[in-house]
Amino acid sequence: MSRFSELPRLSRREWMRLASAGVVAYSTSGWIERLAAETSTNPERKKSVILLWMNGGPSQMDTFDLKPGHANGGPFKEIQTSATGLKISEHLPKIAKFGDKMVVVRSMNTKEADHGRATYYMRTGYLPQGAVQYPTIGSLLSKELARPELPLPNFVAIAPYRFFSPGAFSSGFLGPQYAPLIVGDTGNQFGQQGGQNSYDQLLRVQDIDLPGDVSSKQADARIELLRDMEKDFASTHPGVAPQSHQTAYERAVKLMKTDANKAFKLDEESDKVRDAYGRNLFGQGCLLARRLVERGVPFVEVTLGGLNNNALGWDTHGDNFNMVRQLSGVLDPAWATLMQDLKDRDLLDSTLIVWMGEFGRTPQINGGNGRDHYASAWSTVLAGGGIKGGQAIGKTSEDGTKVEEREVTVPDLFATICLALGIDPNKQNESNVRRPIRLAEKGAQPIKEII
Amino acid sequence: MRMRWRMPFSAITLLIVVPAAAWTEPTTGPAQSAMVREAQPLVDAINKHVAARWTKLKVQEAPLADDAEFMRRVFLDISGRIPYTSEARDFLDDKAADKREKLIEKLLESSGYVGTYSAFWRDLLIPPDNNQQRQLLQRQITPWIQKKIRENTAYDKMVFELLTAPVATGNTGGGRPGRLGAQNGPAIFYQANEYKPDNLGSATSRLFLGVRLECANCHDHKFDKWKRKQFWQYAAFFAGIGTSQPQDFGDGQGEEDRGRNELTIPGTDIKVKARFLDDSVPDWKKGKSPREALAEWITSKDNPYFARAIVNRIWGHLMGFGIVEPVDDFTVDNQPSNPELLDALAKAFVEHNYDMKYLIRAIVLSKPYQLTSKMTNESQLDTTAFARMSVKSLTAEQFFDSLALATYYNESAPVTKGGRRDPNNNVVSPRDEFIARFANNSDKRTEPQTSILQALALMNGKFLNDITSADRGQLLGGAVLFKPEDSKRCIEALYLATLSREPTADEMSKAVKYIEGGGVSNDKSKAAADLYWVLLNSSEFMFNH
Repeated sequence: MSRFSELPRLSRREWMRLASAGVVAYSTSGWIERLAAETSTNPERKKSVILLWMNGGPSQMDTFDLKPGHANGGPFKEIQTSATGLKISEHLPKIAKFGDKMVVVRSMNTKEADHGRATYYMRTGYLPQGAVQYPTIGSLLSKELARPELPLPNFVAIAPYRFFSPGAFSSGFLGPQYAPLIVGDTGNQFGQQGGQNSYDQLLRVQDIDLPGDVSSKQADARIELLRDMEKDFASTHPGVAPQSHQTAYERAVKLMKTDANKAFKLDEESDKVRDAYGRNLFGQGCLLARRLVERGVPFVEVTLGGLNNNALGWDTHGDNFNMVRQLSGVLDPAWATLMQDLKDRDLLDSTLIVWMGEFGRTPQINGGNGRDHYASAWSTVLAGGGIKGGQAIGKTSEDGTKVEEREVTVPDLFATICLALGIDPNKQNESNVRRPIRLAEKGAQPIKEII
Repeated sequence: MRMRWRMPFSAITLLIVVPAAAWTEPTTGPAQSAMVREAQPLVDAINKHVAARWTKLKVQEAPLADDAEFMRRVFLDISGRIPYTSEARDFLDDKAADKREKLIEKLLESSGYVGTYSAFWRDLLIPPDNNQQRQLLQRQITPWIQKKIRENTAYDKMVFELLTAPVATGNTGGGRPGRLGAQNGPAIFYQANEYKPDNLGSATSRLFLGVRLECANCHDHKFDKWKRKQFWQYAAFFAGIGTSQPQDFGDGQGEEDRGRNELTIPGTDIKVKARFLDDSVPDWKKGKSPREALAEWITSKDNPYFARAIVNRIWGHLMGFGIVEPVDDFTVDNQPSNPELLDALAKAFVEHNYDMKYLIRAIVLSKPYQLTSKMTNESQLDTTAFARMSVKSLTAEQFFDSLALATYYNESAPVTKGGRRDPNNNVVSPRDEFIARFANNSDKRTEPQTSILQALALMNGKFLNDITSADRGQLLGGAVLFKPEDSKRCIEALYLATLSREPTADEMSKAVKYIEGGGVSNDKSKAAADLYWVLLNSSEFMFNH
C-alpha cells in the first residue's frame, strides 16, 4: 500500500469517492461456504431481485387484467389461479399455479406512452430531466443490497434491448462501478432464433475467456507484471481513476478465475431443466438468473422482447392476440419454472420478482386487430420476496380504460419494491448535479398492505 | 529550485523579464513567436493568481513536468492522440529552448486539433448516446462544427450562429431529415432537443451561460435563486420553435414562428413573455426575432455569464477541474475557487475576440498546466489549488486512436476479418465497437471509472490480442526482429511507442530480465508480447496525466 494511503489532508469527499470506487479488501476464499451456511430463513440474508422486463409494452387486457364479457376483451378467456378470486389469462396456466405468491397491480397510471420516455420512467423512477443521469433500478437496488465480497458483479442484465432508451439501462450518476454486467447482448437485433449453442454462447460473459493462444500461466505472468507497474503509478497518482482501474482489473481476474464464473455455464444443468425453462433466449435467461441468484447476486434482469426475428416484442400494434399468445407461451414456462426452482431451493421468499414493461395497451382494439400504447390503466406484477401474495391491487373500469380504485404511480411502485426488500425508499444518493436524489420520488405512496 | 518559487512572485517579475522558456528549463532567453508574445500577459496573469492561492492555502506545488510527460499531455489535450514514436524521439532529442512553444503551435495547426475539438463540441451540443438516432444526429452536425474549428471562428460568432440558425430546413421526403450540408448543421441542435422551448432553454443556459436552469423547470430551484417563472421566461425566447410531427423518434421537420415571444407554462394557464435571466427585457424592435435578441444578449461583452462560462469550461477541460466545478453549474452556493483567475481569463478572452486558440495556448503555456501529475506533497490534493496536474480520462475516441497509433493498427487493412454487422447490415468497424464499449458517460473527466467489462475487453478481447500477438501484431513484428542481444532496443521501442517515454533504469533492468528469461514459455518474442500487453493495459497508458 502506498504511503499516501493515510492522508490527514484528504477531504471527507475524497475519502467517500475512494470508498465508492470499490477499493475494498475482500478475502479470496470461503465465500461460497459462508453463503451455504446462510439459509434463506436467516433474517440477516439480504434479498435479491429478478426483474422480468417485457419490452414493448405488454397488453394487460390479455395477460393479467382481462375483460372477457366486454367488447374490448378480445378472444382470450380467464382462468383461476391458485388464489381464489384471482384470475389471469388462459395462456399463462403454469404461472397461474403461483397465484398465491403473486400480487397483480392493476391500477398503474403512469402518463407516459412514448417508448423512450416510458422506458426511462419505469426503469429509473424519474422522467428524463436535463442533465441528471438517473440510474436504472438495477444499479439503485444492487447498490443497497450490495455484497462486495461476491466475485460476481452485483447487477447482471440478460439480453437487454436498449434501443428505446439506452440511458434507462445505465448506472447514470452512480458511476460505472454500479453498471450492469451485460450478457446476451444482441445489440439492436432481437429474437434471434438459433440452435442451442447460440444461447450458450450468447449468455456468457464477453471476453471472460483467455484468448486461445494465451496460456493461463502466461496470463498470470502478465497480470503480475501489470500489478507491479500499477503499484508505481498508483503510489504517485492517488485518486479515483487509477484506483478504479486497478479494482476493475482485480475483479475481472477474480471473475475469470473463481468458480463464480461457472454460474454462466448453463450446460451444467440437465436437459430436463433446460427444457422446462424453454429452449429460447428468455427461457435460458431465466435459468441463468436463477443460477446467479443462487450464488448471491442481488439484482438480475431478463428481457423478453421479440421472437422469430421480430423486434417488436410486446409492442403489438397489429395482430395483438396471436403475438401475445406466442409471447405468453414463452413467458409462462420460463417464469413458472423459475418460481418453482426458487421455491425448491428455499429462495422464493427472499427473491422479489418484478414483472413489467414500459406501459400497457389500449383497451380498444384497433383496425389491425392490435392494441396501441396505453399508460392510463395497466398492470405490473410482483411475486415472491415474502410479500402477501394471492391478491390484486387496484381495479380498472369495466371497459378497461380507467383506474377506479387505488391508483399506483411509478414512484409508488418504486417505494413498494424498496419496502419489500427492506430498503428505505427515501434514502438518497448524490447525483451528478450535486442534488441528492431519493430512490423513490418524494411523495411516493407505497402499497403497504402487501408487505 | 523549489526555494526559488517561494519568493513572492511579484518580486521575480519586477526584477527579471522572464521569457516563457524559463518555465521549461533554465536557459538563455529564446526568440518568441508572435503568438506566444501575444499570450504572455495572460500567461503571467494566470501564474500570478494561481501562485497567490498557493501562498494563501500554504500549498507546496509539484515540480514541473519533464519533457516526456509534457509532450504526451499536450499531444493528447490539443490533438487528441499520443505522439508517434518518431515524433516522440524528435521532441525528446530537440535541444531548442523554445521547443515546447513550437510543439504547441504545431499541434494547434494540426488536423488532430480540429478532430478532437470538433468531437468535444459535438458531444456538448448533442450528448452522446448508444442509439442510432443520436449517432446519426451527431454525424450530421459534425461538418458544421469542424468548419468552425478549422477556421478558428470566434466563439461568440459560433454561438450566435447556432442560436439564430434557421430551423425549418426542409426534408428530402419521407419525414426523414435530408442530407444536410455544413450550413444546416446548427439546425440539428434544435432537432436533438426535439424542437421544444424548455429543452432548448435548459441546453443553451447550461452550455453557454453555465447555469443549470432545468431544476427550475418544475419548481423553484432548490439551491439557487431561479424561480420557475424565470425558467419559462427564458425558454420563451424559443417559443416560436416547434415541429410538424412530434412523435417517438423525432423525425419531424422543424418549424418556426419568428414573431412569437411568449408561451404558456405547461400544466397551468400562466402566460409568460420572454425575459432575460438578469430580468431585463429586449427592445422588441420590429424584425428582430426573439432568438436574435437572445443571441445578442448572450454573446454581449457585458454579459457576465458568457465569457466566464466558456473560459471555465476550457480551463476545466485542460486542467481536469474547473475554477467553478461542475463547470456548468454557476450557482449562489458554488462560487469560483479563484475568482481573480476566472475574471482574468474571461477579460483576456473577450479582449482577444473570443479566440479559442489564444485561450488554449495561454492555459497550456501557464505554469499550473506544466506541473507534473506526480504528487510530492499532501497539500497538492486540494484540487482547487491546481498545484499538481490532475489525472484525466481520455475520450473513447482518443483512447482508440492512441491504441491504434501505439500498435500501428491500420483500420483500412483490419487485422481481423469479419466484423460485426449492425441492424442496417453495415459492418461495424472495430473503432465504432470499441468506442461504444468505452464511452465514458460521466461528465467528470477526473473520475473516470473502469468497469469489469472494459477490463475484460482489454485483457482478453480479440482486438487487443491480435494487435499484441507476436506473429500478428505489426509493431511487435518489427520490434522483435531485433536480435536477442537487442532486447534493450526492443524494450525502448515498446515504451516509446506506448508510453511515449523511455523506461527508467529500474524498469529497463526488470524488463530485460523478463525478456531474456523468455517469460513462461521460454520464448523471447512471447515475453516481448507480454511486456507490450502490460504497457497497453496500464493506467499510465489509459489516462492523460
